[in-house]
Amino acid sequence: MPWAETVTFPRRKLSYARASLRRMIDARHARVAEGLSELELWLGDQIRGGLAASGPEGWSAMARRLVDAQAPGAAGLVSRLVRLPASGAWPERLLAEYSLLRLLAVAYRRRAHLPPPLARTVLTRVGFPVARAEVLAAAPVRDHWRVVGSRVEEEDRVTAQRVWLRGRDSGRAALLLAYVGPGRPLPDAPAVGACLEIDLRFYPGAAPLRALASIPDVPFPGAVLDASVPGVPVPVPGVPVSGVSVADGGSGGLCATTCSHASSATACSCASSAAACADGPPIGEVPAGVSAEQALSEVGAALAADPWTDSWPVVVTGTVAELGGLGFHWSFHDPWRLIAVSGGRPVTVAAEWTPYGLRPMTVWDEDGSAVVL
Amino acid sequence: MGGAAVGGAGSWEELVSAALVGTDRRPYDGDLLADAAVEVLRRRAGQRPAPEPAADRFAPEPASDGFAPGLAVGGVVPERAAGGGTSERVAGEVAEPEELPGVGGAAARRLTRILGGEHERLLGEWLRLAAAARRHVPAHVLPELLERGRRDRSIRGRLGVVAGRRGRWLAGCNPDWGYLLDEPTGADWEFGRPADRLAHLRRLRAERPGAARDLLARSWEQEAPDDRAVFVGALADGLSADDEEFLESVLDDRRREVRQEAAGLLARLPSSRLAARMAERALACVRLPRGGRAIEVVPPETCDPGMRRDGIRPHPPRGVGERAWWLQQVVSRTPLAVWGDPGAVLAAPLDEWEGEVRSGWVRAAVSQRHPEWARALFALDPIADLLDVLPAGERQELAAGFVTRKEMDSQLIMVLGGVERPWRDALAAAVLNKIVKVAATQPWNLGELATLAGERIDPSLHYLATSAPCLRDVATLLRFRAEMSKELT
Repeated sequence: MPWAETVTFPRRKLSYARASLRRMIDARHARVAEGLSELELWLGDQIRGGLAASGPEGWSAMARRLVDAQAPGAAGLVSRLVRLPASGAWPERLLAEYSLLRLLAVAYRRRAHLPPPLARTVLTRVGFPVARAEVLAAAPVRDHWRVVGSRVEEEDRVTAQRVWLRGRDSGRAALLLAYVGPGRPLPDAPAVGACLEIDLRFYPGAAPLRALASIPDVPFPGAVLDASVPGVPVPVPGVPVSGVSVADGGSGGLCATTCSHASSATACSCASSAAACADGPPIGEVPAGVSAEQALSEVGAALAADPWTDSWPVVVTGTVAELGGLGFHWSFHDPWRLIAVSGGRPVTVAAEWTPYGLRPMTVWDEDGSAVVL
Repeated sequence: MGGAAVGGAGSWEELVSAALVGTDRRPYDGDLLADAAVEVLRRRAGQRPAPEPAADRFAPEPASDGFAPGLAVGGVVPERAAGGGTSERVAGEVAEPEELPGVGGAAARRLTRILGGEHERLLGEWLRLAAAARRHVPAHVLPELLERGRRDRSIRGRLGVVAGRRGRWLAGCNPDWGYLLDEPTGADWEFGRPADRLAHLRRLRAERPGAARDLLARSWEQEAPDDRAVFVGALADGLSADDEEFLESVLDDRRREVRQEAAGLLARLPSSRLAARMAERALACVRLPRGGRAIEVVPPETCDPGMRRDGIRPHPPRGVGERAWWLQQVVSRTPLAVWGDPGAVLAAPLDEWEGEVRSGWVRAAVSQRHPEWARALFALDPIADLLDVLPAGERQELAAGFVTRKEMDSQLIMVLGGVERPWRDALAAAVLNKIVKVAATQPWNLGELATLAGERIDPSLHYLATSAPCLRDVATLLRFRAEMSKELT
């Protein structure tokens, strides 16, 4: 629990405080266990009665029940069922979601027998929060992190800002995720195509993806880029970032947070060339892409570690047809910009893999400029 | 199946169909949700249990899910979607590398801003500047630009240049954008498409008018009728008495549009045989007065074959009488020199048919590019087309005088709309003064005048527009254009 790390107890009361904390956690687990076993029963009923009878009323009732049971993660998985498109493939999708929900409930029940990282993933998916302090205490992963895509979406009254990164050397994928309440300004996010030499600290789990970005040599938590703490980043205009997209219209506020501390956290070397020719199209570095087949096995590895993985950033080099071979998400309506940039040749594309197809985010053109799709 | 229990390790399809109706009615031997979870993960990870036909790998999303049909063309999704493809492009064809250099980053960003709605009406000027600089646009803006061109014909000519080879490749992928393939690209006379050949003819005509005419005359018999009309029209530029022989022969062409095009050109040549024939007809209809009396007008009674050969259209548009129609055409194709001094002729009263004769003169002044007549006619009735005939400097001066004298109304806007950019000193100053004056008295009437000023005034004169608050928008627009032009030259 977050406050457990910061509140100091008088020595003689420490054991009492620990016991009290333990009791609170146990009480929560009891409620969650109850809620999830109800979920299991409910899922069994749905399968016996037939998916055709499933519908929004049942889902929202179940979701409310799970919120009451203090399992907000599981509740979210249930309430988003409404968003499955009602097309011919609807029963398949619903069955897939139901089966993974059941898997989650079962995994929670048996969490004591799971390997610790997977057990941790289960808790996170069910809705136990991860303390920020715990993430910040994790070992830093230093790399040249390339911003391969970003998206801002409205999600049930809050705005979610996602920034996906890939490490140049580690090849790792990362996600910076920030939620902002209604009417609050979004945090500054680095420009798509930018490359940042920074430390990331990953949230614990079996297939770690979400991370906090931090600037080394600056005391925590003030230097945290992850914007769930508002107002923390130190944006500096004119940060030299490479391959900044011309397609985003150069809108402001995309500046990276790093460069007031240029000595400790600099944009990658590839950035300097872009800064040098601010007048022309930025000649960026195109991130290394893999084949569609390899991207699929990356996703496979993530799924093997965390079966509830529903989003994974991939960088694929291939023709549009090869990308299409992986299937596109229903939200990808207009492929023409991607086709235009490809010219029929293989291109490097960053896309969010989802169980329902790829959501292309960025394509790099011949000049190495990142084009937002 | 008759309610028989489905086996444990059922296929995905079996699992789905059992779950859909419910295991109460369709018993499943085993834990359906557990089996489904295994199957789901296998499928999500791309490890399908059995090898499936390649086309199936385009799953999970069938096209019915709203996925854009665009991928069916351009050889980008060759297998599953090819059946529904709407283009003849073969799979695997790629765009050729560009010949022209690309526009700079700043210019590209400005284009994105314009397309995003900032000073949107400047798109045409941006494209003109880029085409003049012979630069191509970045590939990622092409879909939006080609979509604009689909709705707005006026920008298509420039798009032919700035879209580059990638644009044409893309247009070949999407039938909606096929129009681009008909725009000139720079290929030559023998092997180019009609648009390229026209562009070639025009270039040659501008440099060596005689050579262009001879080139056309040599291949004349082989040209398609539609092309002939367009090609003859290209001779308007640099027209001279040397062209008469060829044009006179074209008067016997089978196609009416071709004949009319040639007749129109011959009428502009005062020394041509057609002009002489037309003058004879005109003088028979419009009898000039002697000694202050009114001009007497008797329109033609018929439209004989000779008149038709000379390009007179026999059938009037709806609402126009036949004789009025013929009269107007005869006058408009008669060399203006026939009438003598425009001042004197225009001063003489006209009894009847005044409208027809006047509009014939206006057309004649425009098509024969006769400055004296244009000047005299503009003084009587300010028609924007007449200004076109005058040398650029005089045109703007005349317009400037007109702006100063004239009340703010729609005619003022129409005349100004006919004066091409860039508006230079005198006109720019007159218009800006007008704006300041109108802003004080009828500010609600300012919109279109201010917009025109911002769009037409030479952007290098933007400093003229900084003094008054009502000129702020004009100044902003001018500065925007000044930067735009710097980026593209």
